[in-house]
Amino acid sequence: MAAGGKQEAAPFGRHLKCKDLHQYLQGLPVSVLDKLYGHPATCFAVFRELPELAKHFVMRTLFAEQPLPETLVNAWVKKEQQNFCTGALNRLKQLRIWRVVTGWSQTRYELNPTFRSNLKIALCGGGQPWCGVADDLGPDRHSKDKEFLDKYALERWEAVLHFMTGSSPPDGTVGISADVVQVLLVSGLMKSDEQEQSPMITPSGFQFLLMDASSQIWYFMLKYLDMVEARGMNLVECLSFLFQLNFSTFGKDYPTDNMSDSQLRFLQHLREIGLVFQRKRKSRRYYPTKLVINLAAAGSGSMTTASEGVEGFIVVETNYRVYVYTDSPLQVALVGLFAEIICRFPKFCVAVLTRGSVSQALLSGITADQVLHFLRTRAHPEMLKKTPVIPANIADQIRLWELEKCRMQMTEGVLYNQFLSMSDFETLRKYAEDLGVLIWANSNKRVMIVSKSGHDDVKKFWKRQKPRE
Amino acid sequence: MAEDTFRRLLVVVCDLSPIWWGKQAANASENSDKMQPINAFLNNVLVFCNAHLMMKHTNELAIVCATSSKSQFIYPCPEDVSDANGEESYGNMDGKYEHFATMNNVVVDKVKNIIEEESADDVNLPENSATLLAGALSMTLCYIRQAERNCPVGQSMKARILVLKGSQDVSTQYMATMNCIFAAQKNNVTIDSCLLMSDSGFLQQASDITGGVYFKITKMESLLQYLLWMFLPDPNTRESLVMPGAVQIDYRAACFCHRTLVDIGFVCSVCLSIYCQLLPRCHTCQTRFKLPSAAMTRPKKKKKEKTAD
Amino acid sequence: MAADDDDESGYRWLNQYEKSWEAIQEDAQGGLQFVDDDFIQRARRRRLLAQPGNIRLGMMRHLYIILDLSKAMEEADLKPSRLFCTLKLLENFIVEYFDQNPISQLGIISTNNKRAEKLSELSGNPRIHASALTQKEKPNVCQGEPSLQNALETAKKSLRHLPGHASREILIVFGSLTTCDPSDIMETFESLKECKIRCSVIGLSAEVKVCKTLATTTQGTYDVILDEKHFRDILMQHVIPPAAKADAEAALIRMGFPQHLMSSTPSLCLCHLDSEWNKEINSSGYFCPQCNSKYCDLPVQCKACGLTLVSAPHLARSFQHLFPLAQFTEITTDEESHQKNCFGCESLLSKNLIYECPECSKRFCFECDLFIHETLHVCPGCSSTTSNAVIIKT
Repeated sequence: MAAGGKQEAAPFGRHLKCKDLHQYLQGLPVSVLDKLYGHPATCFAVFRELPELAKHFVMRTLFAEQPLPETLVNAWVKKEQQNFCTGALNRLKQLRIWRVVTGWSQTRYELNPTFRSNLKIALCGGGQPWCGVADDLGPDRHSKDKEFLDKYALERWEAVLHFMTGSSPPDGTVGISADVVQVLLVSGLMKSDEQEQSPMITPSGFQFLLMDASSQIWYFMLKYLDMVEARGMNLVECLSFLFQLNFSTFGKDYPTDNMSDSQLRFLQHLREIGLVFQRKRKSRRYYPTKLVINLAAAGSGSMTTASEGVEGFIVVETNYRVYVYTDSPLQVALVGLFAEIICRFPKFCVAVLTRGSVSQALLSGITADQVLHFLRTRAHPEMLKKTPVIPANIADQIRLWELEKCRMQMTEGVLYNQFLSMSDFETLRKYAEDLGVLIWANSNKRVMIVSKSGHDDVKKFWKRQKPRE
Repeated sequence: MAEDTFRRLLVVVCDLSPIWWGKQAANASENSDKMQPINAFLNNVLVFCNAHLMMKHTNELAIVCATSSKSQFIYPCPEDVSDANGEESYGNMDGKYEHFATMNNVVVDKVKNIIEEESADDVNLPENSATLLAGALSMTLCYIRQAERNCPVGQSMKARILVLKGSQDVSTQYMATMNCIFAAQKNNVTIDSCLLMSDSGFLQQASDITGGVYFKITKMESLLQYLLWMFLPDPNTRESLVMPGAVQIDYRAACFCHRTLVDIGFVCSVCLSIYCQLLPRCHTCQTRFKLPSAAMTRPKKKKKEKTAD
Repeated sequence: MAADDDDESGYRWLNQYEKSWEAIQEDAQGGLQFVDDDFIQRARRRRLLAQPGNIRLGMMRHLYIILDLSKAMEEADLKPSRLFCTLKLLENFIVEYFDQNPISQLGIISTNNKRAEKLSELSGNPRIHASALTQKEKPNVCQGEPSLQNALETAKKSLRHLPGHASREILIVFGSLTTCDPSDIMETFESLKECKIRCSVIGLSAEVKVCKTLATTTQGTYDVILDEKHFRDILMQHVIPPAAKADAEAALIRMGFPQHLMSSTPSLCLCHLDSEWNKEINSSGYFCPQCNSKYCDLPVQCKACGLTLVSAPHLARSFQHLFPLAQFTEITTDEESHQKNCFGCESLLSKNLIYECPECSKRFCFECDLFIHETLHVCPGCSSTTSNAVIIKT
């Protein structure tokens, strides 16, 4: 009871939080948001990430032109579920998809006209093609098959991760450019060291490494987009291009014609990290890879198991052994972050989870949940057949090891002592308790500790009390 | 309403009965409408299908068409999915989402083919030939079963069927249809029914037994709105939305001899055929019956004792 | 009948040894797999093939389940114990039984301490039987020795008065190896045979001569279980209605098909009238077309006038047994067909494991063949062609 309820226990570094699409969009200026809805792809992406009820609200009003009274909307939803209704309404209002119409006696809503017309285009057709017409280009003489694109994408993205871990990538791969390094630095995933030339990985960086590929790319793209305007590129154009890619067909080529300068520069960056493939810089066509398709869904965390297309390769046994079926040195290095590697073979290695190895990982800022998430998202198909995917005793033990580190909780506070009378002590204690700022009190010794934020209030109260005596 | 991680498969079963649609076209031309009713219908259904795919990227779709001579999958069709050239030929010319455009073009082409084939041998069809609903439903259930099996490990699939039907039920399909309904119930497949202009006893039962929505549309112009309102939400979302109440369903049986609905009937103890009167032998299984014993008909019987035909 | 087959094949230990390990092989990735991937699936199909075709079935079943509650049921060879395992499986059985035999009835008799006790009377209400079973889900229920004869006599007493068209059956779940009977049990067997009561036995421990004689005398089946899964399989086979005896009587039975109606005044339903709890007054329900009594669920026998009340779908559920779908023929030859995909699920047909419907000559994959015959009972091909005007074949 002594612990102040509001203290956040985060003594070991900040937990890396990945915003989803909507949180990101809500942070954008209103003018940008309105411009974004000018493209069907963006409307489509925003729509798909809405809460289920909100999606139906939009669909129901898509073809209805007149504004709807709020009472009617509430009547759509059962009484027990009204809180979901309010949640959906709020989200729609925040994203400026539904607007409140003025000039009526009661609150009425209307679908944002730009959003409406563009979503209609995506759904029923009409308007301009998204990415220009490809017909004049003819079939690609150097057309690439899906396996090649997958391999290319993985190779490029792993090059980024390799750079972060500081290990040398396999021979023959091109390193990463200064632009990408800059994103890593600004996002706090890496920091440049005074003594050394090359940047060092930060605790957030470790957490980043353990995320699944689509979340990693989503996080990276968000940070990249934050810097887009500083580089003199048009944010709206880049975002709509990203959403276009999000909805493109895998294995199909798209022309670079009709793209603006910002978008062409953006394309080169995407090419570098493996989200699109372009044979030559001047090539007039590009292929989106699996990494970028359906990227917008990644932030919402709906992917609880291994992401589609990527085969899992980790087996965790109840005896704390971890078997890793991979030849990627990067993946082995990642497992090495929290487990002790005991044998290594080509394409296979055995590791064991120990208290020491996991504590080491926890010390570098990784959380137990992230370790478990890593294991779960890369679990072998055989493991996925079981529920829970990770054996319960392993999951519990990793969490317990994390709790060990949290046995002590630091709270800053101010000590009040040397009360003259018991009644003085009691008044002040009660006051502090009512405010919710009391951390600890001992009436025998007439001592109490008040949190730092509450100190001012309590002090003022004490001064007001004093003169009366 | 917990975040559900199911892949949602929607199978749309469309009734393309040439006779029924022919009648609609005849009616429409009287009202001097610009668009053929079947075109308007198809456009609406396609927008609805797009909307279903739009809800989530894991949502899946299949379309089955039933006519009075066959039932057939029109989407996805294996030869078109694997064929990259097929996609090329359906070049996307406007702002519609690529996948939607490809899917819609495939469907429109297939439906055109079906209608042309139908009209070619239309002459041979008897006037009362009915849509093969049972065939379409049984194919759909096989497909759903296959789709559930092929679902990636660690994910599960929930399927539902939406039947869009205008033509009349025929009693010859009763047994096959009921078997399909029970199979759907056993596999937790919901059957939603959207009836065009006229009610259907089969589908009322189907939706009632499998927990789906049954709704009759009386105005074809408002088809899309009804589809989006009532049939777009999946069963999980319906929990939180206000949906139309259940309809009163007539569970009375039709007798096998005259096809009339009976309140009290006679049931053959061997094959469960239903008759509206006492018979010396069962028409279905040829069993000879003993005369009804006193225990069966109770003292107050005033029934026609024996109406042998 | 099945028992006769067993006799011909002789004792199991005299059979050639089944080298079950030879069915296992390493695949390309080094994993273990069956030589025939569909080993188990094929077994399922074989069982389907074994089902008889269009013969007369006893659809109006009156079945007594005799449940052994003797000391032997406390054995833990089934988990957690024979009793709990049996109760759990019986609960499923009852649900499935009423699902597939909608107009049939069932009753439960238990036997322990050399006595027999009726747990539930013959009735068509699954809830009564389920609650009777749950009452036995407690420790120290199993006591003493069972008495086969007493239990059979109890069952016979209520079955013998049933009308001639009814199929009379007894299913015995027997864990004990002994029975303690007051007089000559063989006489009981003979009288059961006279009353045309079919007795089947499921043995939980080992084969017992007296049970085998009972099953052969009354033309029932006798099975001894291997494990829980086998137990379930055998129990579920008793869900399928048995073939009717050649000399069985047939009759037309009067039945009511009530509609679900809303009446203007709320009232109590007859089915919940004597239950202590859950007395609901509402205005909707099924009304008996003869005496207008109200019921909240079907099927039910009207308590006022004795009319059996059912709905059409209830009868329709039995069609799968009465009009079984013809078995598909396996196509082994390499003959080319224009049909590349399974007619049911559109998946590509593999070279082997193709099945063809004899009626419509449409081809199906292995999985669909099983699904069609186990669950669907409709051939998608036949029901998708116009020439299916006559579905009910005599």
